[in-house]
Parts: sequence; structure tokens; C-alpha cells
Amino acid sequence: MNHTTNTSSINMKLLLLLILLSLTPTPIFGDKTLIETTCRATPSYNLCMSTLLTNPKSSTADLTDLGLIMVGATKAKATRAIQQIKSIYRSHPELRRSLTECGQMYIAVVRADVPSAVQALDGGQPKFAEDGMADTAVEAQACERSFTERGEKSPLTKVNRDIESVANVARAIIRMLL
Amino acid sequence: MASSSPSDLENPHATCSYAPLPGGTGDEPTVSRHPKKSAAIFLVCAFLSLAFVVALIGVDKAELNTNEAAVVLSRGRGVDKGVSEKSFRPLLGAENSYPWSSNMLDWQRTGFHFQPKNNWMNDPNGPVFYKGWYHLFYQYHPDAPVWGKIVWGHAVSKDLVNWRHLPIAMETDQWYDEQGVWTGSATILPDGQLVVLYTGSTNESVQVQNLAYPADPSDPLLINWVKYPGNPVLVPPPGIDEKDFRDPTTAWKTPEGKWRITIGSKVNKTGISLVYDTEDFKSFELLDQVLHAVPGTGMWECVDFYPISKQGENGLDTSIDGPGVKHVVKASMDDDRNDYYSIGTYDALKGKWTPDNPASDVGIGLRYDYGIYYASKTFYDQDKQRRVLWSWIKETDTEASDISKGWASLMGVPRTILLDKKTQTNIIQWPVEEINRLRTNATVFKNLVVEAGSLVPLELPAASQLDIVAEFELDEATVMRLNDVSDADVAYDCAKNGGAATRGALGPFGITVLAHEGLIEHTPVYFYVAKGVDGNLKTFFCADQSRSSSAMDVDKSIYGNVVPVMKGEKLSMRILVDHSIVESFAQGGRTCITSRVYPTKAIYNNAQVFLFNNATAATVTASLSIWQMKSAQI
Repeated sequence: MNHTTNTSSINMKLLLLLILLSLTPTPIFGDKTLIETTCRATPSYNLCMSTLLTNPKSSTADLTDLGLIMVGATKAKATRAIQQIKSIYRSHPELRRSLTECGQMYIAVVRADVPSAVQALDGGQPKFAEDGMADTAVEAQACERSFTERGEKSPLTKVNRDIESVANVARAIIRMLL
Repeated sequence: MASSSPSDLENPHATCSYAPLPGGTGDEPTVSRHPKKSAAIFLVCAFLSLAFVVALIGVDKAELNTNEAAVVLSRGRGVDKGVSEKSFRPLLGAENSYPWSSNMLDWQRTGFHFQPKNNWMNDPNGPVFYKGWYHLFYQYHPDAPVWGKIVWGHAVSKDLVNWRHLPIAMETDQWYDEQGVWTGSATILPDGQLVVLYTGSTNESVQVQNLAYPADPSDPLLINWVKYPGNPVLVPPPGIDEKDFRDPTTAWKTPEGKWRITIGSKVNKTGISLVYDTEDFKSFELLDQVLHAVPGTGMWECVDFYPISKQGENGLDTSIDGPGVKHVVKASMDDDRNDYYSIGTYDALKGKWTPDNPASDVGIGLRYDYGIYYASKTFYDQDKQRRVLWSWIKETDTEASDISKGWASLMGVPRTILLDKKTQTNIIQWPVEEINRLRTNATVFKNLVVEAGSLVPLELPAASQLDIVAEFELDEATVMRLNDVSDADVAYDCAKNGGAATRGALGPFGITVLAHEGLIEHTPVYFYVAKGVDGNLKTFFCADQSRSSSAMDVDKSIYGNVVPVMKGEKLSMRILVDHSIVESFAQGGRTCITSRVYPTKAIYNNAQVFLFNNATAATVTASLSIWQMKSAQI
């Protein structure tokens, strides 16, 4: 094994750890191996790690719990999106139609996809949780298209992309439970 | 057709099962006539969703003043009319998610496919013919058009076509099914009594098997059900995860005269089917070895196990065994959400089944259907001596659309199952004969010659509810003459080779349904014939959803597989079109494809049917009979 490479990779990991520590109010290191191996098998390792490590529940989590944390993160982001939509609605009444559509889509996420996914993970029917997160990603794309198809500039591009990413990470974790 | 269940009367002020909506006013709807808790919950949710939209719109008073909003709100409370979630559509109108108008969403509701009046459905459960009635139970979430806490919905029919909805048969009212009354099967005992085994998800989300039976066996409608006080009758055995133990089958007789069932599970990534013997459905003995196992296939759900006759044209009771019989094992693969089956030999003494062809084993070989088709279940219809197959067909649109529609999922048209006597290697699935009674107003086309690269419009009175039967003949001379072939063509793959628009020498050709006149939207169902270097033909049967809708938020996969064609056979297909579902059968039911499609333009009077031949070399001669299909009572 190449000693130099090994040290530098350790340094990289230390750096990453420090960054994560600085982001984490209370550092939690539970079953870090599980979290790491799980996140490596998702489409966004960094998003996955940061979401899981900032959640105190991840310290004692099994794979189902990790799925639930990620679904919870999806819900939090979609709920924030609804608030944002309301506030943009006031400042940009010309985007009324697109914003209303996006509102409906994220309502579907928060009221249908997320509760269904939680019930499915709790109850041991992960395929329905996968469906919920797959739909969330589709709703996020559809929200973005609401603007682009009207030739409007989307004020929610980053929000939509974030939600799609976190839903895809959640979906990847859930698939490990099938 | 009454579907209101008096047991659901209480609590008209049910709270929303979801978190409160931002912008909600907190008003609760008043529920008068036929109040249903489930409807009330959904209504509150729907109402709050409405309130959200109103809150959005209310910000801009120039667009919509508050008085108008108030009018819409009161309309949104029309619970007493039973219109439930539909009542908030008028407000949305032009505001509906692009491009979905309520007109388009209304069109998606089917005319002759079984579905509950509203909300979510999944697996068929306990199908049985009892005292003159076909019973269909189903996984039902009465609170919303999305999966959740599941109960057993119930409906009855005299003909498998027209249905009467009955009250919920089993609710989540015991600790052993608190998280859900999941999938199960019915068994008729020799004295005519009926028992049901179903999976309960316990208060701790452990999957257990429970026994239930009719409260009044003399009631042909089987309205009331009793859960055995000693439930659960089975808990996950050692070595099986508590969440990998579900969906018991109908029981069949062992040589010793006991009853035997099988339950799907997995060990690591190997899908398995556990076997239990019982004399009374209350105490069970686990057999040492499994019925069957296939490595790498993951969790087996909704296992089905039944005999098929090698020679006969009738279906067989599940307990029939002997030299004239083969046995089918079907499992629904949790990993890829498809139903796979395999034909093989059952050793009743060992409780073990072996596939005829290991290369075509359960989960790696044949599928019932190459489209959307999952969690299916058969039953033996002793009245007509046939085996009938039910299956859950899910939605492939968005949840936001399902909420607007107020429903999600339907059942495929029930199919009879027989061994394919010609090939001996696959089953034949065909819509039950009763469906033909819905046929009306036939249009017949004889020997239409369709040149390579041409499209023929078929004049029909309407095209949203159809039964199409078609035969095709490839021009023999061209097929014989064709030399510039390569084996690449024989490796054709419906999903990967570009769909109906990609042309080869001998295909694709077929019928495109739900087609807009300019083909802005259309759903082609077609054959693609490939000639190998050995001169042999290989036929593929495909359905292409890629141009089925202008909408971007629906699934647009291309489905299909090989279909066996015997020497001297014409190519034939049957297509049942029923709004958002298209079911296609090739060569009498050797290969089947169920599609869900959500056109935005090719609907109502703008839906048409075309014959097409996208081959580059061969002319095709086609003969068709097309019936309009009446709506069933559902």
C-alpha cells in the first residue's frame, strides 16, 4: 500500500470530518460505518452524509431509521418550499399560476407521499415508500417545468433541485430495504 | 350500489390525518347525509388544500375577491352530496397543474374496469365464488388516493363485469392488524364453509397471519366477518425477518388429507416460499424445506400456486394433482414490481416444486404481463370450471394528479388461465368471456392492405372504450426474399430499440390507439418480426407509451417481449381500450401487456385508431373487428 496516498486520504477524511464538525451543533457519531456505507450507495454521498449526521437520531439508527430520517428531510424541504411559494406569491403576483401549481405539487408531497412513505417504512412495505419518494422527485421536476413551459424564470430552481436530490437519496436508501 | 358503511358514522369532525396546512383557516366542514369518517378525513384534507390555494389567491385581491373565495369554500364543503374531493375542482379550473384540466382527469376514469368509488386500492384479496356471487376483496385505503393504513374493501358480482360495492369487510381493529389488514386468500372447505387467511401488520409492525371467517355463512353477500379470537395463527419463524412474512395463499389438500399453504419471504437476497400444513387453519406445522427458492430475486410477495391441466380446457381446483397436471408458481417481485411465473412439477409428498426449465425459473423468466401488472391472484371458479386471474394495475401519473382525480389504481379485466397446449412452455391468459357482453356496434375491416411505411385511419364512432381483435399477415414473398439480415435484429428489445418509430424490414406494424389525428399523441401496440441468419423468424410484441401524452409528468416506458408464433399461425392481437388503461394480448394470450396512459388531447371525440405499418420492406394485410364497449355497472 502506498504510504503517502494513505496519509493524504486520511488527511482528506480529517478535513471532511472537521467540516462536518463545524456544521454540526452537537457532533453525533453512532454507527458511522452503516451511515457511510449507506450513503456511498446513494446518488449524493455528501447530501446523504450531511443530512444523516446532523440528525441526532442517526446515532442509534438502523437502515429503516436512516430511510425515515431522509423522508423527514424531504418533508422539511417540501414544507419550506410551500412557505417560500407563499412569500414569492406576494412579491411576484405575475407568477401566480405556476406558483399555485407548485403549491399543489408540494402539498401532494407533504400530505400524501411523505405520510405514505413513513407508514410504509414503519410497517415493512418499503416499496410504497419508494413510490412516494419517486413521486416526490417527479413533482419537483414538474414544479420547475410549470415555470419553464410558460417561459417564466423559475424562482424555485434551487429548491426544486434540492428536493429532487434528497428524494432520490431517500429512494436509494429505501431500495436497500426491499 | 350503496357503498356507505354505517359503521363509519361516528366522528363527523374527524381531524386531518396529515399535518395542518399552512394558510388553513381551521374551519371544519360540517358533514350531514351519509357521513363517512374516511370521506370526512379526506375532505378536511381536500378542504385545507383548497384553503391553501384560496390563501394564495386571496393575497391578490385584484384577481379574486374574498367573497368569491367564500363562495368556492362553501362549495368545497359539499360532503353531503358525496362529491367529496371533486368539489374543489371548480376553483382550480384554469389553475390546475399543467397541463391537466378536470376534463382530462375525468376522462381517465374507466368504463369497465373494477375500481372503488374513490381513494386508493392495491392488491386483489380472497377472490372466490360463493353461493352464486363472485366476491372481490381488495387492499383499500379509504382516507386518501395514496397507500396508507389498509383495510379490506369488498364488492360482489354475478358476472365478473358488473359490481356492487359493499361495506368494508375488515378494518384495522385488532392489535394483530393495527397497522394494516394486508393481503390474503380464501379457501372453500369441503362442507362449503369459507375461511380466509390474511397478513396483519401488528401494533409493532410485525407481519403475522390471521384467520377470519364469515359471521353468517348463509349470507351470500358475506357482509360481516369475524376474526378468530386466537389470532395470530402464524408468526414469522426463526430465521425469517418479522417484515418478510406475508400474503398466504389459498390452501390445497396434501396426500395425507391435511391443508397446505405457502407464504412468500426471503433469506438475504434469495426469494423463497415457506410451506405450512394445517388441519384446522389454527395450528400450523412448518415444513423443513421450502416450496421453491430462487437466489437473487429478493422478497417474494403474493405467491400463487395452482395446477393447470396438460390436456383439458378447464381450470382446476387448487387441490387437484396427478399425472395430467402441471403446477404454476407465481411470485410478485418486491425488487422490480413485476409478476413472474414458471411452470413445473409439484412433489406433494415433499411439498416441493421444480421448474420444467431452470433457465425460466420464477423471477428470472416469464411474466404474466410485460406492462403494469402486480400482486395478482387467481381463484378457481367452481361454477364455470375455470381459473380466473385478478391483478392490481397502479397509476403511473403523479400523486398530485391522483389527488385531483380522487382515486388511484384499478383491477385489470379478469383473465382465465390455461396451459398453452401448443407450446407447452407458457400459459394462455384471456379476458373472461363475460366481458364480451359489453361489446356493441361492431366495425369490421377485411383484408386491408397496408404498404410499408403507411398509416390507415380507421373510422369509428368513438375510441375511448374498445375491444379490438386483429389478424395480420406479412407478405410471404418479401419475408422469403429478405437476405440482408443479421442476428442483431433477432436481439431486438421493445424497450431499448426506439419503439414504434424505429423501422426494420419486417416491422413494427400494428394498431395505434388513443391517437390524436396528427399523431401528437398516440399509443402504438405492435409486432416486430426479426429474421435471423438461420432464416427463422422471431416475433416481438410491444406497446409504446413514449408518445402517449404531451404531459411530461407521466411514465412513458416502452413495454414488450417475445411472443411464440407456431408454424402456420397468423399474427393476432386483441386490445381492450378503456380510457387510461390499454390491455393487449398477442397470439391468443401468450404474451400480454397492460399500459396506463394519460393523453391530454387524444381524449373524448379526439381519440382515434389507426392501423400502421412502419416496416421498410414488407406489406401487411390486416383484418379487424372493433367493438364499442358499453360501460359496466361499477
